Amino acid sequence: MLPIIRFDHVSVSVYEKTILSDISFSLFPGQKAVLCGKSGSGKSSVLRALLGLHPITSGTVYFQEQPLSSSSVQAIRSHTSYIGQEPMLGAETVREALLLPFQFKTHRGHRPTEAQLIEVLHRLQLSSDILSRESNRVSGGEKQRIALARGLLLGKKLYLLDEVTSALDAQSKQVVFDVFSDPNLTVLSVAHDPEWLELCDTIFELEAGRLTQVKRNGNT
Amino acid sequence: METLDIELPRMALLYGLCLVPWLLLWLVGLRLSRDIGISILRMSIQLALVGIYLKMLFDLNQPWLNGLWILVMLLVADLSILRRAGLKARYFVLATFIAIALSILFSTAYLVVLVIQPAHYYDARYIVPLAGMILGNCLQGNVIALERFYSALRKNENEYATFLMLGASRWEAVRPYFRDAVKAAINPTIAGMATMGLVSLPGMMTGQILGGSEPWLAVKYQIAIMICIFTSTTLACIINLRLSLNTAFNAFDVLRDEVIKKP
Repeated sequence: MLPIIRFDHVSVSVYEKTILSDISFSLFPGQKAVLCGKSGSGKSSVLRALLGLHPITSGTVYFQEQPLSSSSVQAIRSHTSYIGQEPMLGAETVREALLLPFQFKTHRGHRPTEAQLIEVLHRLQLSSDILSRESNRVSGGEKQRIALARGLLLGKKLYLLDEVTSALDAQSKQVVFDVFSDPNLTVLSVAHDPEWLELCDTIFELEAGRLTQVKRNGNT
Repeated sequence: METLDIELPRMALLYGLCLVPWLLLWLVGLRLSRDIGISILRMSIQLALVGIYLKMLFDLNQPWLNGLWILVMLLVADLSILRRAGLKARYFVLATFIAIALSILFSTAYLVVLVIQPAHYYDARYIVPLAGMILGNCLQGNVIALERFYSALRKNENEYATFLMLGASRWEAVRPYFRDAVKAAINPTIAGMATMGLVSLPGMMTGQILGGSEPWLAVKYQIAIMICIFTSTTLACIINLRLSLNTAFNAFDVLRDEVIKKP
């Protein structure tokens, strides 16, 4: 099986400061991986480098064995769902936020029906009343689930999650865990939450921009 | 009807009028004597030079010289727009030049060749002041457009990245900021047209009336210049922003930090 993501000796510098140094790892379809480490160790930078948001100074990032380049970056972005701690909804109402990606050429023609919108909201334990709410009037936890709903509506298979359970209560967290228990979904996440770490099958330990340890199912 | 000349002693008397605001400002504790003095001096020298070269341009009335002068005005405006918008000239100088040159030449040529129809289309008396007036207003619009657009992109960096992550192309992701910037740039012109003649008498019309023109003729020229200003500002802002996207972003659609001047 070919990896969906592969970092091959990747280094990243921002403002002449090295933030990732010689990172190599692979992520296979269906794998659930988490990046751990102290604040500033470069966890979020791994996600940003994969999305082409950080300039790569050496090494290569591969997505489905295609090197990340100016021509392939949009394909990576359109296959991936990135959800941060405080996701930007990018529209005035929740309904507009959920439908936003379907305005773009890549996803035009796949606009979900009202029934599909409501179904995905219910799956994430969100009431359908939230559709008419203003985006700036929803809580952090709701925003995270709306961003996740957007990924599910787009049929994304690869999720990049940055502290995605940070604003969730126990019940909402369980809902999110249930979504990602789907073996068809691949996850590369940044988290400190011990429950999330348990859900993941691979733990990448980062220290000062270097990958120091890879743990699988509790074994180093 | 001839305009009455202002002889030098009466010009001196005119400068004396500045003593009134200067005294008032001094009384309210604003020490602006130096700034006021420099501004009045600069205005006087710059306008005196304008008077000299306009006289020369009108007397010679050569197409190449008129064209050269317009080129100089375009280059100065280009650099001025980028400086005031806080952008580095080396990245945007060409985009801004193309945008303002195309829009100014188009509207000035349209006005002079099709509408005014002088005996010689290159007549300095028409093309130099008209191109200058259109360019001056177009300059303001382009400063607003570029400044608004790039500030909004920096301020909404996460939102812009979200659009990209949701599958937007660079153009789709910048479009909301693009629209806001163009709107902000042309709004003053639209508002100006809506209140023209009610709030104040426009400068060009006043100048023509003082110069001896019939008010009705001055009105027609004022309408012509306002339509040209509106057309060229809209054209230049849209072309300028669109062309600037080619140099402002890296190959991965991320705004290059080095294109913005550090405050």
